[in-house]
Amino acid sequence: MARRTRRIIFFSFAILAGLAAGMIFGWEVMPVQYKDTGSDTLRQDYKTDYVLMVAELYEHEVDDAMAMERLAYISPEPPLETVQAAIAYAEKNDYSSSDLQLMLNLAFAMEEFSATGISEGMS
Amino acid sequence: MTTSEDTQKINPRSPQPKKRSAWYLLTGMVLGFALGLMYTWWINPVVYESSDPSSMREDYKDTYRSTIAQVYAVTGNLDRAARRLELLEDESLIYSLGAQAQRALAEGKEELAHDLALLASALQAGSAEPTMIPIATTTATSEAVPTQTLPPLTPVP
Repeated sequence: MARRTRRIIFFSFAILAGLAAGMIFGWEVMPVQYKDTGSDTLRQDYKTDYVLMVAELYEHEVDDAMAMERLAYISPEPPLETVQAAIAYAEKNDYSSSDLQLMLNLAFAMEEFSATGISEGMS
Repeated sequence: MTTSEDTQKINPRSPQPKKRSAWYLLTGMVLGFALGLMYTWWINPVVYESSDPSSMREDYKDTYRSTIAQVYAVTGNLDRAARRLELLEDESLIYSLGAQAQRALAEGKEELAHDLALLASALQAGSAEPTMIPIATTTATSEAVPTQTLPPLTPVP
């Protein structure tokens, strides 16, 4: 094999080895750190706890609009979907029945509120 | 003619191929490493979809803290409120609540300020170490927001 060709092959392998090392370093050893994240990136268990807080407040305030505003804080999704996701997580992780009931009440209220909003919009 | 030139003439070295160094391999590795970093840090960085409350921006933390205080005001569950506050990893839970209460009061949100102060007081009463609440003082400190005093606290039913 010509000397020049061999050098080009070795050079290419060196680049590939460096690339692999760089990717391991950039993804595993020292990945990009996000320090100022938004609330919508919270892990599902934290989101569920937040929904539970909203449900606890809703139980006392019975303020649909305020509950919706609070739910918008953790997710751009429709409030009902956010609550349903939280309920699904809570059921899977054995939350207490009282906490589950609070979230179910909130879900029911959000469902009603959404339905009312849609029917008002159509009329 | 100098002596060294004579020596070169007398002992001419046979032309040998130059031995090339392996520096080009190191250059390739460095180049690849830089490309790898560029790809992983800028083009396709790690995306965090499961962050925790402590990594949130300060204004999001404030909203989170407010909600915890409001929930405490209606439920009176101090243990749960304390555990939730710990998720924010503030250096001092009581101080953070107090400082935020001051800000809320300055913005005219008296009810929220009350809830925050109520939780701060409850935590202070529950903690073994006496901690100074910045909002409880009438004189301003360098760190506390120098504004009004809070409305009187009412016990949680």
